[in-house]
Amino acid sequence: MEFQFQLFGPLLIHTLSYWWVIIPSIFLGLIVGAIPGFSAANTIIILLPFTLVMDIEVGLIFMVALYCSSRMGAGIPAILVNIPGTAGAAATPLDGYPMTQAGRGQQALAMSFVASSFGGLMTTIIALLAMPLLAQVGYYMHSVEMIVVMLFGISLIASIAARDTHKGLIAGFLGLMIGSIGTDVVYATPRGTLGFLELYDGVPLIPALVGLFAVSEAFLVIEQKSILSKKGLDAAPSVGWSATLEGCTIALSRWWHITWNSIIGLIIGVIPGAGASIASFVAYQQSRTYSKTPELYGTGHPEGLIAPEAANNGVTSGTLIPLLILGIPGGATAAVMLVVMQYQGVTLGPTLFQLNPELGYGVFMAMAVTYFFMILTILPLARFMTRVTMVSTVYLAPCIIAFTLIGSFVPRVYMFDMWLGLAFGIIGYIARKTGYHVAAILIGVILGPLLETYFLRALKMSDGDIMVLFSSNLGNVLWLALFATFLVPAGIQFKKNRRLDESREAPNG
Amino acid sequence: MTEKQNSNTPDKRSIGGDMVIPVVALGFTLYYFSTIIDSPWTAQVSAFFIGTILIVLAAVFIFKSVAKVRLGEAGFGFSKLFSKADITSGRLSLFIVTVLYILLIEWGGFTLTTFGFLFSGMLVLSKGRDKGFIALLSAGLSLVGYGLFIIVFETRLPHGPFEWLMALVL
Repeated sequence: MEFQFQLFGPLLIHTLSYWWVIIPSIFLGLIVGAIPGFSAANTIIILLPFTLVMDIEVGLIFMVALYCSSRMGAGIPAILVNIPGTAGAAATPLDGYPMTQAGRGQQALAMSFVASSFGGLMTTIIALLAMPLLAQVGYYMHSVEMIVVMLFGISLIASIAARDTHKGLIAGFLGLMIGSIGTDVVYATPRGTLGFLELYDGVPLIPALVGLFAVSEAFLVIEQKSILSKKGLDAAPSVGWSATLEGCTIALSRWWHITWNSIIGLIIGVIPGAGASIASFVAYQQSRTYSKTPELYGTGHPEGLIAPEAANNGVTSGTLIPLLILGIPGGATAAVMLVVMQYQGVTLGPTLFQLNPELGYGVFMAMAVTYFFMILTILPLARFMTRVTMVSTVYLAPCIIAFTLIGSFVPRVYMFDMWLGLAFGIIGYIARKTGYHVAAILIGVILGPLLETYFLRALKMSDGDIMVLFSSNLGNVLWLALFATFLVPAGIQFKKNRRLDESREAPNG
Repeated sequence: MTEKQNSNTPDKRSIGGDMVIPVVALGFTLYYFSTIIDSPWTAQVSAFFIGTILIVLAAVFIFKSVAKVRLGEAGFGFSKLFSKADITSGRLSLFIVTVLYILLIEWGGFTLTTFGFLFSGMLVLSKGRDKGFIALLSAGLSLVGYGLFIIVFETRLPHGPFEWLMALVL
């Protein structure tokens, strides 16, 4: 595949001329991303009749803009009211919500917008330049390598457990156990379904997300007048535009953090089947591992917010690479895009860039332009969005319950899923009240079934030989990296303790 | 200290609430094992691995908790989970209203039931104040929901009298 750099300039100007499609799509994407249950893929499917009759260029720009902005939209309720819009934003409230509670919601939103836009923009440029190379990643990532990638995400449970190891581990393993509900991937034997047919496909993610985060949160916050802490309430009236600017500065000063976390997202996004949820957990865990202040994570630390937001936007560009180069969709939204492109007679694969380069490169150009417009349009809104945190819980709590439970109904249209959302709400409420971390449960629910699938696949291919887990070079490198994530924090802590001891001894000596 | 503060500060010695999650985990894992005991190994391998660890973790937690109680360091109270605040704050009533919401939405349809839920939920939490404002707000929100989810996104939300009527009008 040869690059046609001469195309980039005119293509950029041409894409900018579609601002009238991009800007409304951004707002639509922000809305569907922010409501649990309404994903970009669902919206594109709903709007498929319109998309199919649109000009292919307009249709693609619309879908790309919607896709990118929905990722960013999912982070907004995660930061403001502790409700991730999608599973991809499940790591965002870990540090985003404590910032809001402390009255720094506007700053947190600005940080998230900058991390998402710059992370997305950067990975779009990288994807554009390294497309052929990145397309190969999927070929090297087999079950064994994927098991290690999953373990990177799951190891976040251990970090969460650091505050109360025993309770953290119980929560994480309970999540993994809940994630194992459903039929097994090889013989479709029903397991732990409590007799419900609706659980044969496994535990649906949206009711779990809605229940553990939103419903439990709504039942907890009614004890207070506002979701803000006393300090946050005192500070809120005096917060002005400067908080947005401050948030931008904090995020931009961590440009390197945005870069490497968005690259983590890009690489994970390229792997078919992996997604934003894995990327955001892995990024959060990596960020915490190599941080000089890991103890601040979970208390409203900017890097804990920037890492998952940059990563889940990096995934967006990643998922489109196998779609365009190999014709393999890397996720649900990419699969819907594939349908639209095929309907319009576009052949995907390497020939796309030779026969129809404007379209091939145009997708990434649309993405870059979307991120550019996104930061311009959404950043000024941060101040107004944070007003939601000032709303009394008398009005907020019933709204959260009603609209998120409806969100859990939407993906499968089962009444059962609303009950499931409530059941997870009760589990989440008990967990929060008694000091078990709901994020640890959710990580287990999301990553558990994926880990089992890859694990069984690896075992089946090796006739049950467990040593298959150490049979590939790339896999072994990843295993070493995984061990490093456990050893590095221990090393840093050891160094810190030694320095502390030395400084204590110094005045005496 | 006020009554509200009292109700929000659970007795630190009550560890009954802390044991709910491990007991649920233990019970669920044992039930899960019972469903896979005769299954092929592919259905068992990861569940047995995860489940065994969970059983050990939960059992150790329960054992430690019981030991604390026997030593007189703690009691089996549930004050962390249940307190007078659950009734005074309207939490229990809101929970009942939520259960009714899910029960009735299939027949009442999205818009009417959501209006009923928002109105009664907010009324319970506000302790009966601002009825007019709450009625207007609930009506506005459920109509916005109807417009966004049913009209714009064409989501298959439960239909009831309001949706059928609007379908005839529009």
